[in-house]
Amino acid sequence: MTEPSPVDTLAAAEAKIVAKDLDVFYGSFQAIKHASLTMKAQHVTALIGPSGCGKSTFLRALNRMHDLTPGARVEGCVELDGEDIYGPDADPVVIRHRIGMVFQRPNPFPKTIYENVVYGPRIHGERSRARLDEIAEHALRQAALWDEVKDRLQRSALDLSGGQQQRLCIARAVALNPEVILMDEPASALDPIATSKIEDLIGQLTDEYTVVIVTHSMQQAARISDFTAFFHLGEIVEVGPTNQIFTHPKEKRTEDYITGRFG
Amino acid sequence: MNARRTRRTERIALMGLRIAAGFVVVAMAALLLYLAFEGTKTFYVDRFPVWSFLFSPDFSPDANHPGAAVFIVGTIVVTVFAIALGGPFGVAVGVFLAELAPRRMTQVLKPAIELMVGIPSVVYGWLGLTLLVPIIRTHTSSPSGFGLAAAGIVLSLMILPTVITLSEDAFRSLPGSLKEGSLALGATRWQTIVRVLLPSASSGIAVALILGIARAVGETLAIQMVIGNSTQFPKGLFAPTAALTTEVVTDMPGATAGSLLEHALFSMAFLLLLIAMVLIVFVRFALRKRA
Amino acid sequence: MAAGTAIAPVRRVTATGGVRARKVADAVATAVLWVMASSIIVMLAAFIVYMVYLGWHALSLSFILGVPKETTAGGGIGPEIYNSFYILILTLIFTTPIAVAAGVFLQEYAKPGVFRNVVQFSAESLATVPSVVMGLFGLLVFVYTFHWGYTALGGALTLTVLNLPALLRVTQEALSSVPDSLREASMGLGGTKWQTITRIVLPSAIGRLTTGIVLIAGRIYGETAALIFTAGLSVTGNHPYDINPFHTAETLAVHLWYTHSESIVPDVDRIGNGSALVLLIMVLLFNVTARIVGRSLTKRFTGRSS
Repeated sequence: MTEPSPVDTLAAAEAKIVAKDLDVFYGSFQAIKHASLTMKAQHVTALIGPSGCGKSTFLRALNRMHDLTPGARVEGCVELDGEDIYGPDADPVVIRHRIGMVFQRPNPFPKTIYENVVYGPRIHGERSRARLDEIAEHALRQAALWDEVKDRLQRSALDLSGGQQQRLCIARAVALNPEVILMDEPASALDPIATSKIEDLIGQLTDEYTVVIVTHSMQQAARISDFTAFFHLGEIVEVGPTNQIFTHPKEKRTEDYITGRFG
Repeated sequence: MNARRTRRTERIALMGLRIAAGFVVVAMAALLLYLAFEGTKTFYVDRFPVWSFLFSPDFSPDANHPGAAVFIVGTIVVTVFAIALGGPFGVAVGVFLAELAPRRMTQVLKPAIELMVGIPSVVYGWLGLTLLVPIIRTHTSSPSGFGLAAAGIVLSLMILPTVITLSEDAFRSLPGSLKEGSLALGATRWQTIVRVLLPSASSGIAVALILGIARAVGETLAIQMVIGNSTQFPKGLFAPTAALTTEVVTDMPGATAGSLLEHALFSMAFLLLLIAMVLIVFVRFALRKRA
Repeated sequence: MAAGTAIAPVRRVTATGGVRARKVADAVATAVLWVMASSIIVMLAAFIVYMVYLGWHALSLSFILGVPKETTAGGGIGPEIYNSFYILILTLIFTTPIAVAAGVFLQEYAKPGVFRNVVQFSAESLATVPSVVMGLFGLLVFVYTFHWGYTALGGALTLTVLNLPALLRVTQEALSSVPDSLREASMGLGGTKWQTITRIVLPSAIGRLTTGIVLIAGRIYGETAALIFTAGLSVTGNHPYDINPFHTAETLAVHLWYTHSESIVPDVDRIGNGSALVLLIMVLLFNVTARIVGRSLTKRFTGRSS
């Protein structure tokens, strides 16, 4: 029996989170223009582009982080399993439970490793110590950190190395059992060894989660993502299976970026 | 040749600056020495035991027995009252300014706080005297209205600006990534403040509270005008009593130079100085914990 | 994913029970904080209104310019206002050069070491000394040891020591607000450190420095405890507006305290209300002036508006 081609598998995957005609304004400056993107469930979508092209801005619109920026305005809609997260009844607190985020610089809380991981479940109401212990172990395993920290869960998270802290932040996000994990250049502040650990991790995370990752490294995007969207000056220039984008880009701007002519 | 002249200017300037900085040290040293010298006369000239000075509730300098326990307790109680009232209130407003206040509110609130700092303590005392004491007199069992309650309330007002500004600084100096991380996990703003920001700012808040306490301990005029100035142990919140600072200001103008009373008052001043220095050490300790 | 090792998945975007409870808590807490912050503004406004209401009719020309009376009604506060300014100016004359010089030293020259730590520690300690203790220090030094008796000069010198730490901190903050790039530019053009400081850094910092000085001046104006024992409780009988720095100089703030604790004149309330109001007006004037002067100086010396 012939296996379906990779392209067919990708095309058949269902949509998890869909941005439709998204505009993001900072005051009068429009940072994102009519961006539409379908991000498929349990796959990795990479957002690439030169600095300042808006990829981080787009990412933050996916979990309503712009609500926190005074003067920022989002128009258009973002649908999670068909429901608009910017709808009139939608609640950012609930949304951030389902869509987690890992930031560029690791930002563990000045608490113990354990407290960092269970912070999410705790604030959402989980009280049972036994359940929290389970959740912590499961999340740390998923973040490939368990073996390194299982004997020192009560030590401060700030004692960990940069790479470990970032994996802790991933564990923290995963502990909430989200559906989507947004990653904003998660390895850019880390050394190459830590970076490759994170990249391996991302591959494993897609077993359960949908990952959208912003990266300034094309090699990284090529290594780990299934789909790639190329951003330029606030617009999505081209999107498609990663393989196709990097070998046969359809737009000239995409090709220029990939071949290093700018950015 | 011009270079040599400028180099000489540099050296003279630097020397002048060093002298100015040294003056600060000299002033502090002189203060310590003078007060230590004068403040211990009670013990080695008049031979009144330190133990009795600190713990005897009987203040009768005419009978050669100036026990200062009344005033020490007065200072402690009034300070505790002030920090219990003003501490949480001040930290809360500090949080408000750092995390919740829209710009227009900040533009009104911060000048208001600056104004509060500028109001002289004697005016606070006068306000307490003309406004607060009569209220206490009519609404409670207190016959005169003077006492620890009046002093504590006035004092809590006076330490508010200190606690507010320092708490606000403590919160503002936290990295924004902490708040971002918490909110991205679906926490509400209040949960973020209580579970992440407050613990992270704890050493800064400790500094705010310690300095609030230092201010309370050293405050004189405002409490002197409302505390009643009786050398009796406080029999509750509404009976007239006294504190270390108020006693000094009440009795020193009338004290004869060289008398036991005068020596005892200087001893109280020296005690105040020691308390202030201990609080500085606490502040440094709290600051070191942050790093 | 093994069941039971993760929290239950959420399947909607709208809020339900648990979330709503947290949001209610958030809203309640926010409201409480708003009330607390507003109450400060309301309270302050109430105080000001109260003081104006009470003291307004006391403010006649005879009150502001007249001399105080010992036992009869009708006393004024003229000499006290004069003394307040006199001591203020004298104190600033002494404090400013010393504090600014020490601040420049600490901020621009001092290398980490024993001397610098000792100076910082002394400054911090001086800052927490209660003003009444400082007053007693002044009593010991100027009234007793120097045998001056109660003098304006003694008061001013005592206040100098009292306000040194505050002005020192103002200087340090003003200097640190000047960006290093300016210093580098000056040194890069061959300027010496001293030239850089006097020609570039200090002018840049002058706005914030002046604001701080004026605000501290406001505090000096209202200082009481340190002056009771050094400048005295009366004004020189024959020459209430004495220029001689060795005259006994009761200030307005001290007078307010004095009338409410020792004085036996029958119109204590009127004098108190009037004095309090005048003090309040002075404080307001100092605050407003501090901002205006600071802003205009900064604009003049640096061309920026802050």
